[in-house]
Amino acid sequence: MLAATSSQFPVIPAMILLPFAGAALIGLLPRSRGDLFRPVALLTAVATGVLSVWMLVGFEDVARFQFQVNQPWISDLGISLHLGVNGISLFLIVLTGLMFPVAILGSTPSHDPKPYYAWLLVLMGASVGVFAAMDLVVFFVFFELVLVPMYFLIGLWGHGRRVYAATKFFLYTMAGSALMLVGIVATGILHQRGTGGPLTFDMVAIARDQVISRPATLWIFGAFAVALAIKVPLVPLHTWLPDAHTEAPTAGSVILAAIMLKLGTYGLIRFGLYLFPDAAVTLRPVLLTLAVLGITYGAVVATMQKDLKRLVAYSSVAHMGFCVLGIFSLTVQGIEGSVLVMVNHGITTGALFLLVGYIYERRHTRLISDLSGLQKSAPIMAACFTLVMLASVGLPGLNGFPGEFLSLLGAFEGARWWGVVAVTGVILAALYLLWAYQRTFHGPATGENARMKDLRPGELMVLAPLLVLIVFLGLYPAPMLERMEPSVKALVAHVDRNSDGFTAVERRYVGPAEAAEREGEGG
Amino acid sequence: MTLQLTGSWYLVLAAMIFAIGAVGLMVRRNPLVMFMCVELMLNAVNLTFVTFSRLLDDVGGQAVVFFVLVVAAAEVVVGLAIIVAIMRRRQGANADDVSLMRG
Amino acid sequence: MTGFVAVLAATEDIPTPDVDWSAIAPNLILMLGGILLLTVVSVVRGRLPGWFHAVWTISVATAAIVAVVPLWQRVQDSGPESVLAGALVLDGFSLVVTATICVSVILAALLLEAYLRRERLGGPEWYVLMLLSASGGVTMATANDLVVVFIGLEILSVAVYVLAAMHRRRVSSQEAGLKYFVLGAFSSAFLLYGIALTYGATGSTNLSRIQAFLADTVITQNALLLGGLAFMLVGFGFKVAVVPFHNWKPDVYQGSPTPVTAFMATAVTAAAFAALLRVYVTTFGPTYRTEWQPLVAALTVLTLVVGAFLAISQTNVKRMLAYSSINHAGFVLLGVLAASAAGDAATLFYLVAYTFMAAGSFAVVAVVGRRGDGHHDLSDYQGLSRSRPGLALVFTILLLSQAGVPLTAGFLAKFYVLAAAVESGYTWLAVLAMLTAVVSAFMYLRIVVTMYFAEPEGEPRRPRIPAAAGLAMGLCVVGVLVIGIVPGPLSDVANDAVSQLVAVGR
Repeated sequence: MLAATSSQFPVIPAMILLPFAGAALIGLLPRSRGDLFRPVALLTAVATGVLSVWMLVGFEDVARFQFQVNQPWISDLGISLHLGVNGISLFLIVLTGLMFPVAILGSTPSHDPKPYYAWLLVLMGASVGVFAAMDLVVFFVFFELVLVPMYFLIGLWGHGRRVYAATKFFLYTMAGSALMLVGIVATGILHQRGTGGPLTFDMVAIARDQVISRPATLWIFGAFAVALAIKVPLVPLHTWLPDAHTEAPTAGSVILAAIMLKLGTYGLIRFGLYLFPDAAVTLRPVLLTLAVLGITYGAVVATMQKDLKRLVAYSSVAHMGFCVLGIFSLTVQGIEGSVLVMVNHGITTGALFLLVGYIYERRHTRLISDLSGLQKSAPIMAACFTLVMLASVGLPGLNGFPGEFLSLLGAFEGARWWGVVAVTGVILAALYLLWAYQRTFHGPATGENARMKDLRPGELMVLAPLLVLIVFLGLYPAPMLERMEPSVKALVAHVDRNSDGFTAVERRYVGPAEAAEREGEGG
Repeated sequence: MTLQLTGSWYLVLAAMIFAIGAVGLMVRRNPLVMFMCVELMLNAVNLTFVTFSRLLDDVGGQAVVFFVLVVAAAEVVVGLAIIVAIMRRRQGANADDVSLMRG
Repeated sequence: MTGFVAVLAATEDIPTPDVDWSAIAPNLILMLGGILLLTVVSVVRGRLPGWFHAVWTISVATAAIVAVVPLWQRVQDSGPESVLAGALVLDGFSLVVTATICVSVILAALLLEAYLRRERLGGPEWYVLMLLSASGGVTMATANDLVVVFIGLEILSVAVYVLAAMHRRRVSSQEAGLKYFVLGAFSSAFLLYGIALTYGATGSTNLSRIQAFLADTVITQNALLLGGLAFMLVGFGFKVAVVPFHNWKPDVYQGSPTPVTAFMATAVTAAAFAALLRVYVTTFGPTYRTEWQPLVAALTVLTLVVGAFLAISQTNVKRMLAYSSINHAGFVLLGVLAASAAGDAATLFYLVAYTFMAAGSFAVVAVVGRRGDGHHDLSDYQGLSRSRPGLALVFTILLLSQAGVPLTAGFLAKFYVLAAAVESGYTWLAVLAMLTAVVSAFMYLRIVVTMYFAEPEGEPRRPRIPAAAGLAMGLCVVGVLVIGIVPGPLSDVANDAVSQLVAVGR
């Protein structure tokens, strides 16, 4: 079986290299052919997206990593280009393949299209790389590489205090990465010492062997957690996010919300649970507390925002809190919910940022107080906004619901009191989004608000796939759950097996039938 | 009573000369004087080498002295050339005047 | 009469060391190349075109690299050997450093050609001095005797003192020369005193003999040796600009003609670190590691922190790069501190990577500096992305590499050093080093921000990019990216090039 999958077309390297090749092509095109940049970028992104869908179709519902490729890279350090997907990373890659074409279609740069599209494609390739990496160093390489294009996207095409926001974003993430790099080095060396074998940074091997001593794993987990918490972001390390989101160009905000934040939560699953299950269990209360803090804090602060984009940014803080809550509930439902939240938050928040971007293009303001009665002048936009907003609130039947529900369910099973506090976040989410909607779209349409143009068909076409997914994944999340379930179960079993004092709830969900399956690679 | 001049006397003397040279270089600001201080330090080292050579009964240490002398001569040539070049452009030679760059 | 014959007869018995000329070929090529250039230009004065000196220098350095290759094979096949009666050692480490120094000569010569033309400062002396200086650096890297280390250091330094002061019309250049000279002489004296004390304690200046002596003998009174180690550390510390012996570096880097700065940052640093590593790790490592490691660890902390934090408050790009080079020196020192085979390889990798990063960065600075070599303020970089997008991109890649962004040489250099440090139990120092790298990254970002995001005041300037300087930059960027993406060949070489000492007969 493994041989069959690995002899296939190397879809993951293709998905990483294709955007890079597209970026190189754009770099080689002369500046005078300005009309070509956008089509080339779009074509590359769509082709990558098609590949991701192809992968989705070919994915088997088992816990094993699939579509694996393994190519030695730096042999003396045992670093290899080991790539693969399992049920957890699969959907994030598909999300990447979906959101980049949308972001490219959804907005145009204010100037210099050539570097803009080139950077976007670099960002796309690196994002796929992060989700597919199975080697710690390769993960880190892509994780850091993501920073550079995002830095330039915010700094060159952003609004207002863009340079400040870009620099803050870069330094925050880099500070975390600095710790993570030492953590990765320490992991590799301690693993080598523990096994007496060759140096390796392969996640599967390190997770399988579990030879690093407990105090060391606590430190290393801490280093990873700080780096990833900055990326998620968890309160109190979130302060870069509102600035970056607000000042970024629309495409930047969409990608930032839809893809970049997921690097953090995905990393928490991969490093936190998979590599260091014992440390994750030990430090679980800290992360749960921060998650709940993020949910409530993000919601409360979002309520007070005057800027529409900042409001959405803080709502992201709250949503990512749910994600972390689900992960560290350490239950199958919780983690499944968490992955669902990641994907669905990507879709809904991406759509919200697009809509806010459209409003900004028309009205040149994002202040809620300047907007009112848009429903009358732009009914189609109002309808789209309503749908997306309700999905973000977590209305049953739309895609926000299943993820949040499962996360909370998991939290009630695994971490009851944190779950109880988190529920307030759901209520607050309804409050700030509905209130913002009411102030923006209802009321009297005066002055320029009355003259605002509605969504053009082209813009609606961009939003359409997101809207369809919002409804579809809300009504019928089962296809996603089916694909991720084996991986998640194997992961929970892995945590259970490798941690002391954590046997309470999870045993129930791992029956003897699955026990055989979890002997696979898991994670 | 005869004073026994053991090797350590020479070593201590050399150390003192070295220290005088080092302190002088840090305290004085005139490049020429600083330059002389460097010479003091190098010669203190020479004395140390000769003393050890004698104590260890090893001719290598004395050979080193010749190398040091040659190097010191080369340094004098270059150092004085630089000082002359600077003095041509300005009136006095004072290390404090040489302060275009700060930070 | 009979007495004279007797003397003659006795003279024949004086043993002369067996000289293996091929083993010292790279050094000889550099030295003879320099002397020959001086001779040629004084004979055929005035009839040589301006580019001749540069082409000559580059050819000589290339020939030296070519000469390294068979020696490398020889060392890989038959192991390291000592030559010239134990004065020099031929091992992989010395050969790689030799090649690195030659590469930096090539890069600096390319820069110098364009620079001298722009500044109307012709003359072969620059190139002669650079070749001789490189020869001194190679001597340092191959030295197997503390006295040879010292002589190599002096050949290296004296030539660079002159080079630093060579720009006749810039007062700051002469200032730089004087400062470098005074502090250089000061540090040489310290190094020499340390050598003298070590000689007193161990009875030899030969590194192999010292190593053997320390392995066989337990010294009860080691104050003399510890003093020697400390003094030598001060001497080396000045040369590689380790905090607190770093004060000269920003001034000298700023004042020196920019191609000379590039040469200092690369060749001088590489040679000095090579000698430092050979003395401390290879010679004293096995026996006296625990004595010097705490000292070096303290210096590493200071160097990393001070280099990073002082860099961010600068507004002169040349000074920024000078301070950042102090931070880089801290990273290299971390590799030395590891005192292991992995540490040696990491140090070597870092030095090679840094050669490309620093030479390329100073190449950009030289070009942006324009005539007079004075436009080094941050504001001179405003709008560079508009007026010279290629130049801005090159500088950005080099700066990101210095910051340690993946897929560039800087990332892997840092990675190797961190791995070596963690392996030797210096995890806390590795964490600290990476945090200072973030502080440094802020400084690099300031330059990038200025180039890309700041609106230029008035007319954006388009600095002329001479072909030679462009070539140097291209080589550096390609080097940085190739090492960053395909590090295998270099890391293999670095791992095979572990510093070794060969026992020599008395």
